[in-house]
Amino acid sequence: MAIRTDNLSKIYSHDATGRPVGLIDLSLAVEEGQIFGLLGPNGSGKTTTLKLLLGLIFSTSGSGQIFGHPLGSNATKERIGFLPEGPYFYEHLNGMELLSFYGTLFGMGGSRLAGRVEELLHLVGMWDRRFIRVRDYSRGMRQRVGAAQAMINDPDLLFLDELTSGLDPIGAMEMHELILRLRDQGKTIFLCSHLLKDMEPLCDRVVILDRGEMCQSGVVEDLLRVENQYRLLLSNCSDELTQQLQASAQRTEAVDDQLAAYYTDQSAALAAAQQAAAAGAVIEALGAHHRTLEEVFIEAVGGEK
Amino acid sequence: MMRPIFRVARATFHEAWRRRFLNGILIFAILIIGSSWVFAYLQPGAELQMIIDIGLGSIRFFGMLIAVFLGTRLIPDEIERRTVHTILAKPVSRAQFVFGKFLGGVATIAVNLVVMGIAFYIVFAIKAPQFAAAKPEDALIFAAMYSNIAKAIVLAFFEVWLVLGIAVVASTLFSWVLSVIVTFVIYFVGQMADFFQQLSDPERGASKLAQILLGTLYRVLPHFEIFDIREAILQGTYTPWSTLLQIIGQGLAYLVVILLIGYLVFNEREV
Repeated sequence: MAIRTDNLSKIYSHDATGRPVGLIDLSLAVEEGQIFGLLGPNGSGKTTTLKLLLGLIFSTSGSGQIFGHPLGSNATKERIGFLPEGPYFYEHLNGMELLSFYGTLFGMGGSRLAGRVEELLHLVGMWDRRFIRVRDYSRGMRQRVGAAQAMINDPDLLFLDELTSGLDPIGAMEMHELILRLRDQGKTIFLCSHLLKDMEPLCDRVVILDRGEMCQSGVVEDLLRVENQYRLLLSNCSDELTQQLQASAQRTEAVDDQLAAYYTDQSAALAAAQQAAAAGAVIEALGAHHRTLEEVFIEAVGGEK
Repeated sequence: MMRPIFRVARATFHEAWRRRFLNGILIFAILIIGSSWVFAYLQPGAELQMIIDIGLGSIRFFGMLIAVFLGTRLIPDEIERRTVHTILAKPVSRAQFVFGKFLGGVATIAVNLVVMGIAFYIVFAIKAPQFAAAKPEDALIFAAMYSNIAKAIVLAFFEVWLVLGIAVVASTLFSWVLSVIVTFVIYFVGQMADFFQQLSDPERGASKLAQILLGTLYRVLPHFEIFDIREAILQGTYTPWSTLLQIIGQGLAYLVVILLIGYLVFNEREV
């Protein structure tokens, strides 16, 4: 087990209704080799969870372990990497010096450290900019070099807070590919993000937090699957066809200039597709319906509220 | 064990030189020390005394200013800029972090004091022989001054490092403004530690409460006045190394206790 927490809580204060503000009774189990997503809106308790796991703050109650060691212990720190949100570094260092600095904190040195620094700078696309000082970095460059410093010790577990923050679409895509590659190497990745759409294709398991409490958790595939629901997506629908489909479908919705119709029965969906084709509509998609993480989240949070 | 401490210290040292106030204080100190011989003419017959008073006084005072303003920012800046997160997430204990920050400050102050000391020695070496030549009876006293000045500067190092330690610890306990005030108060009150002992003397009519309060202050406060050997220098009195080591020992013992308190406080602090 990479991470385990039992009723981990961090209570900062109480709001006007007496409800605790912070993180409340979080119990997690993250298996090794997984990409785990801790998701939720801003202020939901993601960063608090991360700080507790890293030993930067202390729990009010509950406990946790990383690779069987207490949170914040040096035995734990030897095996983890951490990229904070909007990372800050010593401004006077350049990319190469920065990675060397963090490497030496792990006792690395000599050719081993130099080789690792070069490898990582290539990996995050910063080798050509290795002599630029941190104070002259763009947000994206900070993020890239931040990801590199998190990997300096070749960690077994990586904590990444808002990984794609400040990155352009290509940079974000490169980071996603990197994460998947690391997972394939057997690393465990712990992602924190409020960008549910970005996390959906990456995460194996997720926990969704809202106002400090876990409101949904599970394997992503299971969470997204909707039992017995089929979706027919059409374009070029006439008004008459739209009315007919609205009558026959469980529900319909307009998606841009297209129409999505949902059926609980596969044969009903097929019949509707044939009817639509005969009426001159274009069938864009037909198949089992999957929700998005955003829908799962809204459902979970909406249910709570 | 020591490597993370030195790495944090080194980074702290390099960061410190980017602080403009530090450079400003150093330049101002050099200007004052460099012009001390001009002020010497204001007191005919006591020119040497003026040069030593202004020179050593400046080293101690500006060194103390640097220690207060640097020491009270070392750890809070790391927390505010969140650089502490990536460091403490690595195998660096909080004790190593605090000690590394302090050592970085020690190195920064050492360089500042060396620069001020060199400036003072240059002024002294150029001007003092001229003033000494005018008073041949002071020739022996003058000869002893060079080594005693070196000793005074060595003591200034330890005095200022002690102030730095107090500033670092105060910054882990209080806001920046309060930690600056607390450090200044401890420094100035610590200069009068002997005075408290005299006031708490029952033979001088001190009340029981005054004896307890002033006696406690005498025992708890660092005795900064022991670091000042300007009188001995001016009188040409020989200050033995054993006395010096005793003073340094007292300073170091106090420093160890101060840093231990700093570690205990920071160990419980959330970042």
